[in-house]
Amino acid sequence: MRVVIAEDSVLLREGIVRLLEEAGHEVVGQAGDAEDLVRKVTAHRPDIAIVDVRMPPTNTDDGLRAALELRERTPETSVLVLSQYVEEGYAHELIGGGAAGVGYLLKDRVADVERFVDAVARVGEGGSALDPEVVAQLLGRRRRDDPLDALTPREREVIALMAEGRSNSAIAQELVVTERAVEKHVTSIFGKLSLPPAAQDHRRVLAVLRYLDARA
Amino acid sequence: MSFPGLTAGKRAGIAAIGFVGLLGLAAAIVAVVTGTDLTPRWLVILLVPLIGVAFTATGMYAWARRPESWFGLQMSLVGLAWFLATLGGSDEPVLFTLGWVFGSLYAAVVIHALLGFPTGRLTSPVDRAFVIAIYALTTVVPLAQALVVPSPAGYPRNLVLISDDSGLAGIASAVLQYGSLFAAGGAVVLLLARWARATPPQRRLLAPLLWCGVATATLLTLTVIGELLHLPEGVVNAVDLAGVAIFASVPLAFLAGIVRSNLSRGQSVGQLVARLGGVGGGRGSLRDALSSALRDRSLAIAYWMPAATGVPGTPPDQGRYVDASGAAVELPRPGSGRSFTEVEREGRRVAAIIHDSSLDEEPELVRAAGAAAALTLENERLDAELRVQIAEVRASRARLLDVVTRERRRIERDLHDGAQQRLVALALTLGIAEQQVDSDPASAQALIREARGEARLALEELRELARGIHPAILTDRGLGPALEALASRAPLPVELGDVPRERLPAAVEGAAYFVVAEALANVAKYARASCAAVAVRRVNGTAVVEVRDDGVGGADPSAGSGLRGLQDRLSAIDGRLAITSLSGMGTTIRAEIPCLPTTTTSRR
Repeated sequence: MRVVIAEDSVLLREGIVRLLEEAGHEVVGQAGDAEDLVRKVTAHRPDIAIVDVRMPPTNTDDGLRAALELRERTPETSVLVLSQYVEEGYAHELIGGGAAGVGYLLKDRVADVERFVDAVARVGEGGSALDPEVVAQLLGRRRRDDPLDALTPREREVIALMAEGRSNSAIAQELVVTERAVEKHVTSIFGKLSLPPAAQDHRRVLAVLRYLDARA
Repeated sequence: MSFPGLTAGKRAGIAAIGFVGLLGLAAAIVAVVTGTDLTPRWLVILLVPLIGVAFTATGMYAWARRPESWFGLQMSLVGLAWFLATLGGSDEPVLFTLGWVFGSLYAAVVIHALLGFPTGRLTSPVDRAFVIAIYALTTVVPLAQALVVPSPAGYPRNLVLISDDSGLAGIASAVLQYGSLFAAGGAVVLLLARWARATPPQRRLLAPLLWCGVATATLLTLTVIGELLHLPEGVVNAVDLAGVAIFASVPLAFLAGIVRSNLSRGQSVGQLVARLGGVGGGRGSLRDALSSALRDRSLAIAYWMPAATGVPGTPPDQGRYVDASGAAVELPRPGSGRSFTEVEREGRRVAAIIHDSSLDEEPELVRAAGAAAALTLENERLDAELRVQIAEVRASRARLLDVVTRERRRIERDLHDGAQQRLVALALTLGIAEQQVDSDPASAQALIREARGEARLALEELRELARGIHPAILTDRGLGPALEALASRAPLPVELGDVPRERLPAAVEGAAYFVVAEALANVAKYARASCAAVAVRRVNGTAVVEVRDDGVGGADPSAGSGLRGLQDRLSAIDGRLAITSLSGMGTTIRAEIPCLPTTTTSRR
């Protein structure tokens, strides 16, 4: 998989490069600011761009804005946004019309190498990866007469992992149950929340996110 | 001549007195001219109508001049009572009896007037009791005497005589005689006490009348003593006559006081104007100039400070008085012995001259002095205003520094207790793992995993801390998105109402955000609410932040450090915090933050 990395901290950038190269990916470009990122992605057309939110020139949310721009200009390139902190609002902006090829993770997650590499691969292949903290924010919103209250604890775990963008097999592995069991939970959840069934994982993410968002 | 403050009612009162006075004068002239037992005749014919007219007319003038004072009325009543006394010389039994019974009433009224001068109101309870006593002495006792004593031979009939009782007559006569001694002596003592109590400016005002009164009362006392000691009639009569002459000069003394104060007013104001030309510098020189012009050493100046000057949150029509250094000044209350006169310049309030109450008797003088000094006062007022502003800026800077210092201390503590401890533990775990890598790879791996967990927790804590210092989303996206994030993180449903879409000055956004954050944290901790509502509106250049909940209420802003911190933080940017929290009615926290145009909106 061909990767462009945009991260102004050289230390972290080198670390991610090493980590991805060890996982067998090819880092075709490294950018230190948002403009450089857009230039390099336009030039190299990678499978995925890994982008830090806070970057020069203004050191605010330049990376996020660049990522949104890339989604418009080079839709074939997936975008995985890393951030020191995650905001539900930013997740909505990123996912916007579709969850395919979009990832939004806390920077800390790179420490869990295996899972991070998995997320990179998933997003690069057109899937999604949403940080558990964002999902927790979405699920944690309190409101009265919440249909989510009808879910069993296990179903809540399943819907959280679905929202993160995990596949049924990944969910099964995480929860140490069979895929059959996960499928049953998913059907039950969709039934309780009256959601139309979705075949692909990233469509499922979108459906769940839209549902959670619509509760607001 | 115009008389300010003279109402139609009082004008009618004065006219009535004039009318009654004329009747009295006529009756007195008739009584004196036809009376038989009056010696020396020419003196009596001259003095008696003159005294009555002088008191009545002077009283009418005094009342018109100071309608709010009772002194004028009392003066004219002395005149009328005097006419009443002259009726004793009449041959008509009715008039004679009236004159006999009320013959000494004028003395009570004049003592009343002198003790109450210049307001006509008796302030001390002793004065009041004394005046009541002498009114009783001059009405009840003569009446009692008339009931038991027949008129002397050659006089008209005593109409109220009930029985001729020489025993009772003796008692009544003794009461009257010793009572007169008490009244005259008491008047001397009380008038002298009045003088002793008076402030120097009051003494200036009191002097002519008071000394006249003291002299009259003293001579009256001597007359009574002379009668009691049966001194030769010639001596007693001479003293009595001298007393009457001085008594007759009381209205003159009063008029002389007015003339004197008018003369000195022109002189004082003239000197003041000359002196103000030289008032160049040095605080207090204006005060000294006014103080000597008004001859009141205790005089003080208070400068008017409109509310807009460095006083956050005061309605624009209000203000306060400050001294030259900018410290707040309370104006004296009525009846405190101190008064104040406000000075205006071009229709705007400039200052108040705080002075001795006795100067209230010379309002023209104080006003003239104030008008002469108005320009200089305005200049000094501007100086004081500047000082107030500087003081306010200094205070708010100190408050801000205090807030910052406290905040830094909190961050230091949080870092020390949290992330720093975790990083120490992490380094330790890694060190042990390093030692074990060769000997026990499996446990080294476990330790490294543990270290990773420590690192994750340290990162989480740092993230929380950073958000507490300043949330990045607030800088990046502004108040609306930041409040949305805050609302979605809250442990209870939060309804987010209107929030301005445009960016506000960074300090305002920061303050508004922390008001909501602190308020929601308190709601979660104490309110036991089922939901909360947040809204931010812009009202006339002010951001109004409101957080309402439906919880138990009863929040006490002085109890928690959180709300106090908010208050400091807001006051540093001229904001205000209001908390409405009735028990059982929920809590509303409302912050008003002025959105002054500022350059701090630009991003870094």
